[in-house]
Amino acid sequence: MNKKQRMFIRMVVASLIRRRSRMIVALLAIVVGATILSGLGMIYYDVPRQMSAQFRSYGANIIFTPSGDGYVSEEDLDQGVSIFKKEELEGFTPYRYENSNIHNLPVTLAGTDFDSVMKTSPYWHISGRLPMGDGETLVGAKAAEKLGLDIGDSVSAQNSFMITEDTDLTKIPDYEIYTDPETGEKYCDHLLEMQVTGILETGGPEEEYIYTTFHDISSLTLSERGYDIVEVSVAAMQDRLKDYIKTINSNVSGISSKLVKRVTASESTVLTKLESLVFIVTLVVLALTMICVATTMTAVIAERRREIGLRKALGALNSSIIAEFMSEGLLLGGVGGIIGAVLGYFFADVVSMNVFSSSITFRPLLIPITIAASVLVTGLACLIPIRSAVDVDPALVLKGE
Amino acid sequence: MFFRMIRGTFARQWKKMLMIALTVALGASIATAMLNVMLDVGDKINEELKTYGSNITVIPQSEAVMNKLYDVENDEIKAEYIQEEKLGELMTIFWANNITDFAPLTDTTVTLNGSDVRLIGSWFDHHLEFVKKGTTYQRDTGIINLRSWWDITDGKWMDEQKLDGDKYAMIGAELAKEKNLSAGNKITVNGEKGAEELTIVGVYESGDDEDQCIYTTLPVVQRLTDSSGLFKKAEVSAITSPDDELAVKAAKNPSLLSGDEYDLWYCTAYVSSICFQIQEAIPEASAAAVRQIADSEGKILEKTELLMSLITLMSLIGATLGISNLVTSGVMERSAELALLKAVGAANSQIPRLVLTEIMITSVIGAAAGYFIGYAFAQIIGHTVFSSSIEMSGIVALIVAVLIIAVTLVGCIPAIRMLLRLRPSEVLHGAH
Repeated sequence: MNKKQRMFIRMVVASLIRRRSRMIVALLAIVVGATILSGLGMIYYDVPRQMSAQFRSYGANIIFTPSGDGYVSEEDLDQGVSIFKKEELEGFTPYRYENSNIHNLPVTLAGTDFDSVMKTSPYWHISGRLPMGDGETLVGAKAAEKLGLDIGDSVSAQNSFMITEDTDLTKIPDYEIYTDPETGEKYCDHLLEMQVTGILETGGPEEEYIYTTFHDISSLTLSERGYDIVEVSVAAMQDRLKDYIKTINSNVSGISSKLVKRVTASESTVLTKLESLVFIVTLVVLALTMICVATTMTAVIAERRREIGLRKALGALNSSIIAEFMSEGLLLGGVGGIIGAVLGYFFADVVSMNVFSSSITFRPLLIPITIAASVLVTGLACLIPIRSAVDVDPALVLKGE
Repeated sequence: MFFRMIRGTFARQWKKMLMIALTVALGASIATAMLNVMLDVGDKINEELKTYGSNITVIPQSEAVMNKLYDVENDEIKAEYIQEEKLGELMTIFWANNITDFAPLTDTTVTLNGSDVRLIGSWFDHHLEFVKKGTTYQRDTGIINLRSWWDITDGKWMDEQKLDGDKYAMIGAELAKEKNLSAGNKITVNGEKGAEELTIVGVYESGDDEDQCIYTTLPVVQRLTDSSGLFKKAEVSAITSPDDELAVKAAKNPSLLSGDEYDLWYCTAYVSSICFQIQEAIPEASAAAVRQIADSEGKILEKTELLMSLITLMSLIGATLGISNLVTSGVMERSAELALLKAVGAANSQIPRLVLTEIMITSVIGAAAGYFIGYAFAQIIGHTVFSSSIEMSGIVALIVAVLIIAVTLVGCIPAIRMLLRLRPSEVLHGAH
């Protein structure tokens, strides 16, 4: 390192240290600008992912139905579900529907998996609680009104079938036999006693059903079979869901999968709006903040016109003055950019934790971008006042005009 | 003398003052734009969420009870249907302006080329006029906006007001494929009380079981079911506020609320209070929230509002730091001038007054300019994102004014304290 370079570095460092208060002012401005840039940038990139998870509260966006006649078998379901990426799959719930009688009124029983049902239907309002196992039932509000049921009541679902020679009554735990007086055919009334643990309110058709476990519904109907429908909730955008559906329909023969258009189409409409909102807000705030940083830098440099005049009077070249002041500015921009980038990450994380209760994805690329942007803005902001100061006659500046 | 000095400052140092005013203006414009967008974003997103369809359904009060308990044959029609003309009452309730769309629906099973098909009658873009207490209410409403996710794969949406007569239909994509039908075809549907020949206007793809249905005008289904002037169910789409504790409490039983709570609940656009008001207006109907839509709306709104308010907070902090920063440096660089004032005998109290007045005048001018720039930015955001203008709220002007004055004061204080400590001789000698 030669003497000239060392002198140059000393001048830059000394200037920063001597004029501490002014430099802190400038640095603070740059840090604020850089924090906003990196913070808003990270939020902007993370909003679609985070919001997409929120939109899952609309429930299932893909449904599996049996392809052709028959039911969705356990194997097909496993195979179909395994196609989704694990982190994108929010949950899936199979349903099996059967007709039955309660108090001699026809009702629809729906067998389901109560452990996963709230993942695909997070909007279910349940007074009481979800059934914990066999012998317990969740009754839709309309069905409860119709049957006069309340939480804690016992209810017997009834399944009648004709007894033939093949019927094995030993398999049935609880039944009554009666004979049709006209035909002489024997019927078996099989009863399933359940306790109502909760009343379901959704404002939709679910309120008409009575939900039980798969085991209960099989023991009532005395038949094991597959599912009528499977609801799947996947945290992904419409295009990706369409790809999944294609893969599933061509790979899993027993399943026909469909997009729930109402949920997916609306989600992409709203999400696009939200994304562009955050984008344009980020843009506006950034533009204004950068101008703010620039004016502060301009003011800080402008007040050093006397110093510039003095150097010129002592014989410094225009180019060396510009070089020195610019490197001072760029150094500030770099330091401010680094501090701001880190602060911005923490800020974005705080926002994300508060709003979405999950931490933000760190975007390494934003760090160099933030630093480069703050160096660029600071550089540009310094250049203008330095140039105008350099062009001025030293005598005039030193005189105090 | 005081004013002459201030005038002097502005005349001689207009460049520096302009710089301060510019920064204040920028800060004020960020604050104005962000606060306005933040306050309006709830309504805007709420309107966007209307694409999910209706969040309230209205059904006859005693659909189940009347039929099952009393088994009254003659009153059957009354129990299962609501009168179409009562639907106009929706335009008269307290939160009528929050109701964006509504449509009555009646369905029946008909046979089409030998197979059973569900035929649904509704309004598409019905022009509704309703006269109550001498006031005429009117609006165009129907399912066009309540089925925004439909893809019209053939033909177009039915334009009820332009078509001649009512014998038109829109058919689900799966059914159309099955029966090999397309727009322009005529179909004959046979119901219990006769047959109707309908012209297909469009084919829609809905992605649910309505792909197997036919939608037609309400009068067609009313004739087929002998229920003229009646409908079975109405879908209502309303802009609502997210549920909070009060709403949950009220949803259970509004009569348990205290007087003040009741007033607050009634005058807030909760989905439960809108349902309550619909029932008040149409006593024979029962209105219930569609939980899938209403709950999710609430969640997404809450998240969006929180996100926007945190971003707003961040930009406000940025703007205020920027302003107070510049004010501080603006005051400090005038140390020579102020020291001179001290040297010629100005009292310590006079200098802060002078500086403060100057900076305040500059700030106020800057803030006023910034408010209008911010207004423009808010409108740009509104029009680019939501294609509608952002409503300007008066409170924002107040907040911005208070904020700018406070920030300017805070920015001045350290600088002034430093100036007062300065020794005139040192400063004037140039040893700073």
